[in-house]
Amino acid sequence: MKKTSTVEKTNWPITILLIIGCLTVFFPLYMAVIIAFKKPSEMTNDIAGALAFPSSWGFENFREAMEVTDFWNSLGNSLLISISTVLLAIIIHSLAGYAIGRNKAKSKFYNLAYLYIVSGMFVPFAILMMPLVKQTAQMGIGNWVGVIVLYVVFYMPMNLMLYSGYLTNIPVALEEAARVDGASTWRTYWSIIFPNMKPMHATVAVLTALSVWNDVMTPLVIMSGTAKNTLPLAQLNFQTQFGTNYNLAFASYLLALIPILIFYLVCQKQILNGVVNGAVK
Amino acid sequence: MINKKRAASGLAAVLAAAGLGLLLGGCGNGSDNGKVQIEMVHYKPEAVKAFEEMEKKFNETHDDIELKISSPKDAMTVLKTRFIKEDAPDIIGIGGDVNFSNFVDSDMLADISDFEGLSSIKQAYLDIDKNLEFIPMDGVYAVPYVANAAGILYNREMFEENNWEIPTTWDEFITLLDTIQASGQQPLYFGFKDTWTCLAPWNAMACDLAPADVCQQVNRGETTFAEEYRELSEKIIQLLPYAQADPYAYSYNDACTAFARGESAMYCIGSYAVPQILSVNPEMDIDSFVFPANDNADEQLLNSGVDLQFSVMKDCENKEAAYEVLNFLLEDETVQIYLNDQNAVPCKEGSFTLPSMLDGMKEYIEAGKMVDYQDHYYPAEMSVDALIQTYLMEGDTDAFLENFDVQWIRYNRDLIRKVQDYEAKHGSN
Amino acid sequence: MKNDRKRTFMMITIPVLVLFFVFNTLPLIKGFMYSFTNFKGYGSYDFVGLRNYIDLFQDARVGKSYLFTFKFALVGTLIVNVLSLIMALALNNKIRFKSALRGIYFIPNILGGLVIGYIFGFIFTYILPAAGKAAGIGFLSNSWLSSTKWAWFAIVVVAAWQSIAMNTIIYISGLQTVPEDVYEAGSIDGATGWTKFKSLTFPLIMPFFSINMVLCMKNFLMAFDQIVALTNGGPAQSTESISYLIYKNGMDGGQFGFQSANAVLFFVVIVLISVFQLTVLGKKEEQL
Repeated sequence: MKKTSTVEKTNWPITILLIIGCLTVFFPLYMAVIIAFKKPSEMTNDIAGALAFPSSWGFENFREAMEVTDFWNSLGNSLLISISTVLLAIIIHSLAGYAIGRNKAKSKFYNLAYLYIVSGMFVPFAILMMPLVKQTAQMGIGNWVGVIVLYVVFYMPMNLMLYSGYLTNIPVALEEAARVDGASTWRTYWSIIFPNMKPMHATVAVLTALSVWNDVMTPLVIMSGTAKNTLPLAQLNFQTQFGTNYNLAFASYLLALIPILIFYLVCQKQILNGVVNGAVK
Repeated sequence: MINKKRAASGLAAVLAAAGLGLLLGGCGNGSDNGKVQIEMVHYKPEAVKAFEEMEKKFNETHDDIELKISSPKDAMTVLKTRFIKEDAPDIIGIGGDVNFSNFVDSDMLADISDFEGLSSIKQAYLDIDKNLEFIPMDGVYAVPYVANAAGILYNREMFEENNWEIPTTWDEFITLLDTIQASGQQPLYFGFKDTWTCLAPWNAMACDLAPADVCQQVNRGETTFAEEYRELSEKIIQLLPYAQADPYAYSYNDACTAFARGESAMYCIGSYAVPQILSVNPEMDIDSFVFPANDNADEQLLNSGVDLQFSVMKDCENKEAAYEVLNFLLEDETVQIYLNDQNAVPCKEGSFTLPSMLDGMKEYIEAGKMVDYQDHYYPAEMSVDALIQTYLMEGDTDAFLENFDVQWIRYNRDLIRKVQDYEAKHGSN
Repeated sequence: MKNDRKRTFMMITIPVLVLFFVFNTLPLIKGFMYSFTNFKGYGSYDFVGLRNYIDLFQDARVGKSYLFTFKFALVGTLIVNVLSLIMALALNNKIRFKSALRGIYFIPNILGGLVIGYIFGFIFTYILPAAGKAAGIGFLSNSWLSSTKWAWFAIVVVAAWQSIAMNTIIYISGLQTVPEDVYEAGSIDGATGWTKFKSLTFPLIMPFFSINMVLCMKNFLMAFDQIVALTNGGPAQSTESISYLIYKNGMDGGQFGFQSANAVLFFVVIVLISVFQLTVLGKKEEQL
């Protein structure tokens, strides 16, 4: 059954338009890839030369980039920070989204709490930076732990919006059924609501992971003085005031892109396999 | 009851991150091994290899002191955050620029006038550092280590092929530009998209066309920029017809690549650009000459400033040990490690091997005929580079100079008040 | 039972609010204090009263940055929301290579500033002008990045190219809450499709539209990375955004106190805009 429906209904015009649209991604990506394989002496300002294949497709740039960034260590730190943040975000932000989102329409307190947290999104990081550096240092979390705590707070406004927005499409009736059976609110949440928000968990995971993965500023200022590096921090190695090694930098950026791309593709499946479609309506 | 417990465990989960942090935060400060620890942070990550070699050598030869050198990226931000954390290093290696002036002004650096190594430093560089103090201070706050120099870099091969002469006056320079252009080649290439490169010709020409201490003079209310910068402004804009069209579209990197590929005969930039140029064309034969901005060759001065200098922080607990580190850094062999790695000009007296691209500037360096970069006196937030870029695009000299004076007063208000208070108290000389 | 529900909600909300207060509001209050000083970011400082705030309203550069930022954000938000809604509908359709296509369109969002800066710098500086000259199109034949008239739009294009992915993901996850038969018809099959989209699909994803408007507006208002990568505020200071000024002059320069005042003002302005946006969109949500 599945076979027939997909084959018959494939919308080819849209598929083809989307494939053509991919050129807007492929062209810059192509440039990034060939630059990652070139030697600095192959860099040029003329268009034909810049778009030409590298003289050889060796992986020396990638090897050297991994060496310069201490790749496996930095990758480990980046993974540690990203994964912890994502897990905490899914647990804490979904709970907050549930508690606040379910009540903000009726209760003034929750509506204020919602606006209070969401408006925190608009505080320019630059003004928080110095006080946060001092505060985390005084609390003894001027290290990767502090970075994770800060991320959980920084992405709370966005994720709170997302979760409470998603909840408007999950009927309260679902919970009521469980409540009639005598389940507590807490248990109802974990057994009914939490699993029903699966597509949103995946979305939150992707968006949060992405922002965390690429962020330079927070680890730079909070973790300064500790010997730990994240990937984006290590990548600053390629840029100095008076010179940039684009070839090594591009190789390194392409390497750093792979884990997050895989993560996205995994989560994307979850967004689509959401249970809401069948179960709720 | 169960519900309460569950809810409470939710609370615990929320606070887990913070709590975990508090527990873990305590460790990781390192253990003592009886040695005095000296930590140095410098802002030249490109020289990390040289510094690693120095660190290793120092620790091998010293039993009582352990030196730790870190070369962070974006070092100024890192340093500022470390000050906030009250976790300042013992020695900092920064440039001789407005940041140094601010650190001195904020009373963060230790007076090191009793450090003997100072006697081996060229007087010209000590003077340059002295001039960077907003208000004349008693004492010395930095050891100049290496300098860079700016002017014109030229493609020696192209010059030899065409028999072009090195110009020594502004007229000769313009004639040379005309000759090169007439031969169908590109005389100059600018990367003005990166606004800071607008400062390269500006600084180099200012050596001959404006008093070295013009900023201090203005702060004391003795003159205006409209007066002192007029000739400089009128001359810098005359360079534009000799560069590629629309120089604001091209970045510093574009300009380095173009010069390396022989697309222009000259490039108005500092010695610091040489590694980037050579990375594109390792075979290139580059030499330099001092920017001839006036008509009297004997009066011309080289644009050179302190690129790296070391200061001991006021909070440093063990000044003796810090001096020991400075002594080590100033040993001829150590200086040479840095020079070999970075094509720099040493600030120390002595016979060091200078990189060949500085051949044309050697004479000035040896004679100490040098003036600092004007922009070392400009506050970063004023974005003088962007003002110059705007001027070059719009070409209105009067408006530019008038605006310069207005902006200067706006951005240096507190400083001007301080300087004038000082003058009132101490009398100007 | 009712009490259990209330208590549970409180038990969740209070710690969250505390956490948020400690790591967001508390430092904000400290930053607010700095806005009354001439603090450089280090060393000693003096209280200067309201001087920074008075200066803000007299500083032409700050004024220019507000104009630029709002023009930039308005156009950017519009472009991104229209395009990402179309993208989400298309990608949610019965198409082939779904995963591959979704993966590909996600890539722009992951590329770092250095890569974006170099590649789009090259495209705008070399490729587009060459193409413009060859085709005789006047406004393309010079680099947009060196034109005070066009540079802002070049940044819009690149920022949109990067952020469409994120807004598309949010729309796609919103579309998952719409029953299949509704959105299937609601895409491209002519008038009936459009009507269905307008009257059926769109109302259902309205909360996601609000979220995207606010998030997108926020990202464009606070644009920083793309500006640093592409123009660094130039040419002739025509693309200095508010965040760029706050960061560059507050952190790199010695204007920490003054830029803290700027940040406070900016914060108040965006909160007002967003509360307005949320209220208006919220009313719309209820109506639909």
